[in-house]
Amino acid sequence: MLKQIEGSQAVADVVALCRPNVISAYPITPQTHIVEDLALIVGQGKLDAEFVNVESEFTAASVVLGASAAGARTYTATSSQGLLLMAEVIYCIAGMRLPIVLTCANRAISAPLSIWNDQQDSMAVRDAGWIQLFAEDNQEAADLHIQAYKIAEQTFLPVMVCMDGFILTHAFEPVDIPEQKQVDDFLPPFKPKHTVDPNFPLGIGLYADPRFYMETRYILHRAMEKSESVIKEISADFAKTFGRDSGGFIKTYKLEEADVAIVSMGSVVGTIKDFIDQLEEEGKKVGLLQICSYRPFPRQEIYNVLKDKMNIVVLEKCISLGRGGILASDIRWSFPRAEKKDRNISSFIAGLGGRNITVNYLRDMVERVEKEPVELGFLGLKKELIAEEDL
Amino acid sequence: MNAKTEELNRVEKKDLFDSGHRACGGCAQALAARLVHDAAGKNTIACVATGCLEVFSAPYPDPCWRIPFLHSLFENPSAVAAGVEVAYKALKKGPVNIIAQAGDGSTADIGFQSISGMFERGHNVLYVCYDNEAYMNTGVQRSSFTPYGAWTSTTPMLNKTRKKNLPMIAADHGIPYVATATVDDFRDLQRKVKTALSIEGPKYIHILAPCPLGWGHSGELTVQISRLAKDTGLFPIFEIIDGKVTNVKKIPVKVPVEEYLKPQGRFRFLFKKGVPTEEVAEIQKIANQNIERFNL
Amino acid sequence: MEKLPLALAYDLSKVVPYKTGSWRTLMPINIMQTPPCTNSCPAGNDIRGFLRVLAEKQDYEKAWHVLTRTNPLPATCGRVCPHPCEAGCNRRDFDTPLAINSAERAVGDYGLEYNLKHKKLISKRKEKVAVVGSGPAGLSCAFHLAKRGFQLKIYEANSEPGGWMRYGIPSYRLPNFILKQEIEKILELGIELECNVKIGVNIPMDNLTQHYNAVFLGLGAQMGTSIKIPGEDAQNVLTGVAFLKLINSGQIVEVGRNVIVVGGGNTAMDCARVAKRLGANVSVFYRRTRVEMPAITAEIDEAMEERIMFRYHTNPLKIITDEDRVVGLLCEQMELKEPDASGRARPVPIEGSGSVYPADTVIMATGQAVDYDGIEIQKQNDQWISTNENLMTSIDGVFAGGDAVLGLETVAVAIGQGLRAASAIEDYIEGNVESQLAPPPVIYSKDLNTYYYTHEKRFSKKAVSIHTRLKNFREIYPSIDHQEIIKEAERCFSCGLCFYCGNCYMYCPDNAVKISPSTGRYEFDLDFCKGCGLCAKECPCHYIQMTLEK
Repeated sequence: MLKQIEGSQAVADVVALCRPNVISAYPITPQTHIVEDLALIVGQGKLDAEFVNVESEFTAASVVLGASAAGARTYTATSSQGLLLMAEVIYCIAGMRLPIVLTCANRAISAPLSIWNDQQDSMAVRDAGWIQLFAEDNQEAADLHIQAYKIAEQTFLPVMVCMDGFILTHAFEPVDIPEQKQVDDFLPPFKPKHTVDPNFPLGIGLYADPRFYMETRYILHRAMEKSESVIKEISADFAKTFGRDSGGFIKTYKLEEADVAIVSMGSVVGTIKDFIDQLEEEGKKVGLLQICSYRPFPRQEIYNVLKDKMNIVVLEKCISLGRGGILASDIRWSFPRAEKKDRNISSFIAGLGGRNITVNYLRDMVERVEKEPVELGFLGLKKELIAEEDL
Repeated sequence: MNAKTEELNRVEKKDLFDSGHRACGGCAQALAARLVHDAAGKNTIACVATGCLEVFSAPYPDPCWRIPFLHSLFENPSAVAAGVEVAYKALKKGPVNIIAQAGDGSTADIGFQSISGMFERGHNVLYVCYDNEAYMNTGVQRSSFTPYGAWTSTTPMLNKTRKKNLPMIAADHGIPYVATATVDDFRDLQRKVKTALSIEGPKYIHILAPCPLGWGHSGELTVQISRLAKDTGLFPIFEIIDGKVTNVKKIPVKVPVEEYLKPQGRFRFLFKKGVPTEEVAEIQKIANQNIERFNL
Repeated sequence: MEKLPLALAYDLSKVVPYKTGSWRTLMPINIMQTPPCTNSCPAGNDIRGFLRVLAEKQDYEKAWHVLTRTNPLPATCGRVCPHPCEAGCNRRDFDTPLAINSAERAVGDYGLEYNLKHKKLISKRKEKVAVVGSGPAGLSCAFHLAKRGFQLKIYEANSEPGGWMRYGIPSYRLPNFILKQEIEKILELGIELECNVKIGVNIPMDNLTQHYNAVFLGLGAQMGTSIKIPGEDAQNVLTGVAFLKLINSGQIVEVGRNVIVVGGGNTAMDCARVAKRLGANVSVFYRRTRVEMPAITAEIDEAMEERIMFRYHTNPLKIITDEDRVVGLLCEQMELKEPDASGRARPVPIEGSGSVYPADTVIMATGQAVDYDGIEIQKQNDQWISTNENLMTSIDGVFAGGDAVLGLETVAVAIGQGLRAASAIEDYIEGNVESQLAPPPVIYSKDLNTYYYTHEKRFSKKAVSIHTRLKNFREIYPSIDHQEIIKEAERCFSCGLCFYCGNCYMYCPDNAVKISPSTGRYEFDLDFCKGCGLCAKECPCHYIQMTLEK
């Protein structure tokens, strides 16, 4: 049913339809509305689940870890500092192969304190062994949660659904919230493989000496790689069941004919698409590659769609300080080194800490890369605020 | 004696924490863990913190546990246990005994917040702290349970602070059951575990666990050192039921703290050529305060 | 190799435990040690053994069989033994020693009450052994040999068996029917008894040595000796031995109003207490003081309770007679000087201290000797039979034991000698070189971890009131409650032998102490034992000790 609702409400409604048994979270802007809405759903008895108000994100993650290890379908949500406080548990959850679903309402990282959107937080844990799916809009954010449970419970990998804070979480858009039966048909009940059960005692979380550690990490890496097919399959299934494309690996927009390929992820792709349409009217051929699954990273798919593109520009809301674009590095790595030395891959950082990404900025970016490749550019940087020696 | 008292007083040996662990000889934590889980019985889930206990008991592929074992991190066994508990509730499974457990460093320091949360939210979890009074797994560094006057590798000039009083802090959360115990009185220890598990809600049991390596005594003395800790008044034995201190174990013959300190290498600097220094008097004062406070 | 499971989540039912036994440098072992009670028991009774059976199984029958492995006269010893075992008991350093003697009596009485039978170890052998004298040494020797299948015959000079136990010990200490029943049980092993035969008089010694493979002489020392003072031949001057024999033979002895007993040994005490029961005022005259008295302390105490006068430092010089009858005793006072050869202070008369004490009867309980009538045998000091270390006399195949060899000793000592002689005789007959294994070392209080024992009140037997007991010759300690004795047995520390306290089992941090499914005993699982020594330290009875790893 199509509803004009806030993104957080959409996510809460859909998560409830997935029937998690245990929800635990700690409030942090801009994630708060999601858990408030869920608390109300549980409180009103619309969802039979345990809602655990905890004293920190660290504990929230630990509670869902324990609950998942006890066989429950679990949910948590966080943002920014909260995700960093969880970091230790985040790694642990993946290593323990617990199919937990977490919503990251993407937000900048301190210091300085900023409650506004960028994607630095989820980037900080990209190597933890979690599947990371980035939503373009609230419909996709909602849909990804349904898919996330199915992916997680098939692969025994945790899934982080990333949605831009405020831009999505606090935006009112029409969202189609599926019927309970549709979700139930799509998402079978969780069948755990390893749980703490006195009838069948298992040792979970054992210590691995050097004889075993490396293999467990290799297996986890392979599991991430192998989840690619699951993600694609489930996205296709979802399209069949619910009648719309959501998730998957990558999406493209007017890319085939494009001279310049913009690569990005998250809500900014909406702006980029509008911008591409504008340029098209002006006779410029610019296309978009939208990364939906950031981890596992769809290298082959990316290569397939970009292999003929000689001018690629990566736009991202995060930065590896002292190195540059993070997504850009991943994209550069997607091409075999020997191939087409004259391919230009430019990297732009934009929108940090909630700075708007306007069409003007995008136009400026495209014009610059048409002239020459840009190793690292910043969109909308106010140079007038920066001391001479720091420029 | 009625059937319930008899059941509580029965000594249990069920091999649920079995041979084959890598603890040092004479390790009180290993002994305590065995006593705790044998008392709890098969229908128990052990949620264990990183630390000596986890490392010596749960290496792949030969853990010594025979009941479900769950380990995640150093500071979160109480939160993990809370998660297991709510999952059982949500899945309408159980009843099951859930025991979160850790050493003193995890309990008193890094995991303190999680424990407080677990207590305050009222999870039906028993938390057991094996208190060996320092970070032993990493090589005897000071924790907030390290007693006054003890040498640790990070208090080379001796620890100058007193132990954090966690049983009282736990009790002040309003939880229904708190107890202290030592390994020498295994009947009492197991009775407390069984009593705790019979009560709904969060429970805390604080077990003194002499560490032959970190305390510098031979492994054979573990039981006797435990007993001396009680009999000097340095480790009072009591229960707190619904906020009221009760069942205080009277000391039969009060022992001067010197007798407790002398066999332990970590206190060797408190004696100059066998003569006690001022610190010993200070420790005696601590013991006397306990004796007075709990009417030991 | 086994493939790694998902997230290393391991099925705990499949664990092959990691063996930590290789870490060990010291290993625990069980060492059964000799408890001090047994070590101080002249009969070598397995005291810990029978007490443990009582404490653990409440099984009096089994306890009786344990006790009678060494001692065929438990009901007797339980009454008359001065119980050096109790002096040895490690509990003395903790609270009070166990009432072993009372426990022995309870077990002995149980054997009689339920008519328990001794069991033969070997059914029958052709070799024959003669035993001369049916006192405790002879009975013990015959008993142990008969159990081993030898054919035994006992020759007894008196009309009833028992020796000094029958004719010396008064019935208020040892009722005759008790002794009789215990002797019957011994004889039931197929031992032939012939009474009223005095070897050397009725049958020559040679006869025995010719017809038997071996002979044991348990002659006793039942000949009263005098101190040779004037007037000893008066009518109512008796030796202690003669007096007690008359009484124990059921004869009526008129002792008159004042009786003086001379001497400080057990015979003196018995005579005094018997005379008291005959209605006399009784005084015991002794040259030294109470400290030097050789009598059993309890006997002296009881005599005092019964209001018998003790005159120390008093030495008889002359018996004053009127015609043939004694009327008084002239004595001088003594003072004690430096010790003599016996180690006791030497009494020296005080000049001019003589005085006369009125007496209707004087009983000289001053010494006893062996009656060698018709028996030629090598002696030491012209008094006691000499034997070698195997109790064999100067005559090949003739062994001896008991008071005749040792001088005046206790029933238990005689029983112990009987047992030793039986072993020596068996070895002699079989031509074995006697090879005795050294007993395990004795365990003392310092070896015990007494933390685990609790202070418990010692059992005390209840005596009949003095007023009542002096009226007759009935036993002054009536029967003993079996339940109370079981409680007393529970006080036993079980020094040097496991009593299933469970400390090792519960304290082992490595769960390496297991209960053997076959024996039910605790055993070490050396695959896992790290040798920390906690079990040994917390073993109350020192049964677990640490030793170097092999």
